[in-house]
Amino acid sequence: MSLEVLLAIALGGSLVTYLLSGVNARLRDGFAVLVSLAVAAGVASLYGRSDSTAFQTGFLGMRLVLRTGPLPWLFAMTVSSIGCLSVIFSLAYMRGRERTGFYYAMLLLIDAAMLGVVLSGDLLSLFIFWEVMSWSTFLLISYNGGPALAAGMKYFVMSITGSLAMLVGVVLVYATAGTLALPGVAAAVSTASSGFRLAVLLLFGVAFAVKNAVWPFHAWLPPAHSEAPSPFSAVLSGVLIKMGVYGFLLLMYVVVGMRGFLSLGWRLLPFHMILSIIGAVTIIVPTFIALLQTDAKRLLAWSTVAQAGYIFLGISFGTSLGVAGGTLHFLSHAVFKALLFMVAGAVEYRTGGVRDLNSLGGFIKKMPVTFVVALIGVSGLIGVPLTNGFVSKWLIYKTLILEGSPFLAFVALIGTWGTVLYSYKFLHNIFLGQLPRQYEDLEPAPASMRLPMTILAAVVLLFGVVPGIPLRAIDAIGSSFGFVGLHAASWGVAAESGAINMVNIFTAVVVGLVIAWLIFRAGARGVRVDQADSYAAGAAVPPDKYQYSVDFYGPLRRMMAPWLVDRADAFFMGLAARVGELSDGVRRVYTGFVGNYVMYVVLFLAALILVQIVWSPW
Amino acid sequence: MKILWFVISPLAALVVGIIFLGLSRRFMARIQWRYGPPLYQPLIDIMRYFTQKSVSHGAIFDLGVVLSLAGSLVVVLFLPFGGICPLRGSGGLLVILYMMLLAPLGMALAGGEAANPNSSIGISRKFALALGYEVPLLLIVLAVMTRYDSISICEIVAAQRAGLPGIATFPLVLSGFAYLLIMPAVLGLRPFEVVQAPQEISSGPLAELGGRYLALAQIQHALAMFIGISLFVNLMWGGASNPFVFFLKMLVVLAFGLTVNAAFPRLRIEQALRYLWRWPTLIAFVGLVLVVVIGR
Amino acid sequence: MDRNQLVKWLEAPAKMSHKYSLHAVYFCTGCGIIEVPPVITARWDAERFGVLPTATPRHANLFLITGYVSVKTLRAIIRTYEQMPEPKYSVGFGSCPINGGMYWDSYNTIKHLDRYLPIDGWIAGCMPRPEAIFVAVTHLWTLIEKDMADGYKRYRRDYAQYRANQERVLGELEWPPLFAAGEDV
Repeated sequence: MSLEVLLAIALGGSLVTYLLSGVNARLRDGFAVLVSLAVAAGVASLYGRSDSTAFQTGFLGMRLVLRTGPLPWLFAMTVSSIGCLSVIFSLAYMRGRERTGFYYAMLLLIDAAMLGVVLSGDLLSLFIFWEVMSWSTFLLISYNGGPALAAGMKYFVMSITGSLAMLVGVVLVYATAGTLALPGVAAAVSTASSGFRLAVLLLFGVAFAVKNAVWPFHAWLPPAHSEAPSPFSAVLSGVLIKMGVYGFLLLMYVVVGMRGFLSLGWRLLPFHMILSIIGAVTIIVPTFIALLQTDAKRLLAWSTVAQAGYIFLGISFGTSLGVAGGTLHFLSHAVFKALLFMVAGAVEYRTGGVRDLNSLGGFIKKMPVTFVVALIGVSGLIGVPLTNGFVSKWLIYKTLILEGSPFLAFVALIGTWGTVLYSYKFLHNIFLGQLPRQYEDLEPAPASMRLPMTILAAVVLLFGVVPGIPLRAIDAIGSSFGFVGLHAASWGVAAESGAINMVNIFTAVVVGLVIAWLIFRAGARGVRVDQADSYAAGAAVPPDKYQYSVDFYGPLRRMMAPWLVDRADAFFMGLAARVGELSDGVRRVYTGFVGNYVMYVVLFLAALILVQIVWSPW
Repeated sequence: MKILWFVISPLAALVVGIIFLGLSRRFMARIQWRYGPPLYQPLIDIMRYFTQKSVSHGAIFDLGVVLSLAGSLVVVLFLPFGGICPLRGSGGLLVILYMMLLAPLGMALAGGEAANPNSSIGISRKFALALGYEVPLLLIVLAVMTRYDSISICEIVAAQRAGLPGIATFPLVLSGFAYLLIMPAVLGLRPFEVVQAPQEISSGPLAELGGRYLALAQIQHALAMFIGISLFVNLMWGGASNPFVFFLKMLVVLAFGLTVNAAFPRLRIEQALRYLWRWPTLIAFVGLVLVVVIGR
Repeated sequence: MDRNQLVKWLEAPAKMSHKYSLHAVYFCTGCGIIEVPPVITARWDAERFGVLPTATPRHANLFLITGYVSVKTLRAIIRTYEQMPEPKYSVGFGSCPINGGMYWDSYNTIKHLDRYLPIDGWIAGCMPRPEAIFVAVTHLWTLIEKDMADGYKRYRRDYAQYRANQERVLGELEWPPLFAAGEDV
């Protein structure tokens, strides 16, 4: 399938979906699923291809190029598959809501735009698709109205600022390189002076940093991801952030080039180390802010910021293991974060919109499948061995330690422990503990929601036990950048000091479980009791009052809360407030009253006449 | 041969762990001027737990307890015990650090499913305490890994056997000292016994565990002590060439931990965190800085 | 060795473990609880006998009812006893559980505890000294050895009667009946 046909299907499918919603809602739903499946299948068929197609346009004589290769293919595959799964998830979630035609059309449009971003082969089409992606995501973030609108506006303003910086960068590159096609741009920029390379990095970097939620540009993420509809939050956290990752990989290793990127800066503190340190900062504070959250989706949103820090740390570290680890973590994170947002969406759907962690509990009794997939997603997020999160984090840690950056490794490892804490809070406050009486009749998640969640959970486990499947694709990306190959076999990475052998680890875990199970079976069976038969110091369990959820990490919160101030967010909100005041001030001049304007004209003329009379300059 | 070590290593750890449990009760009793139970008392306790018919709160209750024991057993497979090192070349210290997550997570799942606020409070304290001692512990482990330029624990032990034990070399003496300062927290002894706190939260995560669940929890506790002490002996005291010397070194560390346990009351969780994040973290941090600056 | 002998031999470790690992749920009621701390601490050291206090009934197999039982306490005692895993042993401590003791004519105390809960043994006294607790533990060992400490089996067998007695004194009980009627041992 050719690239333009693929994009045409994706974009056209969005338009037809919107038109079909006037005809029949079920038909439209089915068509939306079909389109997303077709796009995913189309992208899958592109595997292994490495070519580009160019189109001549009449506008300024520009050529628009579409290309595919190892890097675009991996991102396109992730975008289309998670987009497809979230469309399936939306079938039940959006039933009975208003403006669903608009919702599906936008969802498909965003997927198409993201596909366009990764498949574009020149900076102009990248910019065009980037902009389409930005405003369509804004529209869908503010779908729910109210606080969602404010969140959407915040996202939109920050995104536009980034896009303007990108535009300046595009113009700068065009002025120097004379072409916008990626190979020509790469040739020109990678051989340019270090000041020019730095300028290009910073300008494009602002745009990608906003999308990737790197500190200090992360301020838009928590409100946007928590207020958006849940299947779209899955797409947002799963793949939209990763557009920034794609941009960074493109920028650092294709445009500026590996040699050009790694040689920037000073000998003791190269520029890419500064970026790694920024990534480390992005890991540490948001992880602990996530601990304090009481809204399930906001907790997951802060978790996304932290994990995006891991990805940024990995890719800017500049070694083959680092880039491989960062890229694999992008893939792993897309899978398990989409899964967790879908879990939050399923719970929200069944409880009628409740996201408050302080009021839920015990849902494992009512939604067992959702719990199991949530447990798998959480295990992936923490990086428990045998999940995909473990392999990617292991690669990142290994490169950090072996290249002599133990402080960055320390930050990454403490980030994992913080992740354990907030993931357990998420799991415990929703699924474990006592079930409140008002949720006695809760039904399990509908089948159309369980299907995408189960698929994602299976992928988490599959890529964890057989990491060679994604590692092969990632190795191809690394080689295309010029890094040494990873020698990835299907069971892991065999290299250097301390290889990782997932089959050994898998065997060890199975052996451990078998021994523990055998010891367990030796004991006398237990009687199954329900939550009313719990130890309550000799009293009967008071219903609805026997759950410890509120302020789950109270002592920790009291210690850390004074330190966990989001100064970047405060800065940006302050800046917005100052600009608002300035505009207010300007309003006093531009009153809209014509008499004032006439007065200004008259006063100015009078001033001119006075000047002429006194000093006679003309 | 490898299959044999796969079976012997966890068994040896179990036996040593239970010996430690019995020894610690006797040791504590002697410090308190009384006789104390016989050395095989934990064995009798565990046998009794196995023959009691208790309650289960659900599938995750069962699986969580099994998972926590499995997690500890798996870590044992990766730790060298004297000369025995079953799983070298499979990921090293990083895998150990990650596998050490499985045991508290399993216990947390079981405790959460118990639907008891005492369990939930205990689990929140357990994770908070883990975060507390992990900060200095990670700095210490990273210092050791940087000093010996390897993530394989067997190589680190071999390097120490060829030279001096880690705690006797210059920058690592600070890390070793910090490790001793946090040792009671890693082992769950006073003054960091806040997770179970029987008088306060009715044994915390263990509140609803009875019968065979409690037996598995006890065995897991024994293994956790084994792992905590054995990690110190391997990273800081040069391991040993045969299991008996290793066992003797572990006994010395256990005696230190028990002496501290006998002398101190229980700290509250925020006091414990404040302590762990102050001096031990500072000393471990200085140790890591010195290791990086002085070079390998 | 015939079949009975073999069964006895196989059950011996279990029985031994029940004897030498009697963990008492630390339920403090009445006057007798003042006798328990000296027993479990350094002065009389019950840990030599394998007797330890536990915080929750789930960990325990011995229940010492250490003094008079008011009606309100009876509710908690029954709940705690039912939450203990089997096999479990209960011992009445002092004269009050036996026949009302000093409060034989009170309106608010239970005079005969064994109508509401199965008791395996009594310790007479007001209050018994700590040595009496040790004598009781050794007697309990003998009873366990001879399979005569079957309070928990009697509870299961005669549960309907126990429950009726409990409801007569306490009114409505907040928990459902523990065993179905006529459940076999």
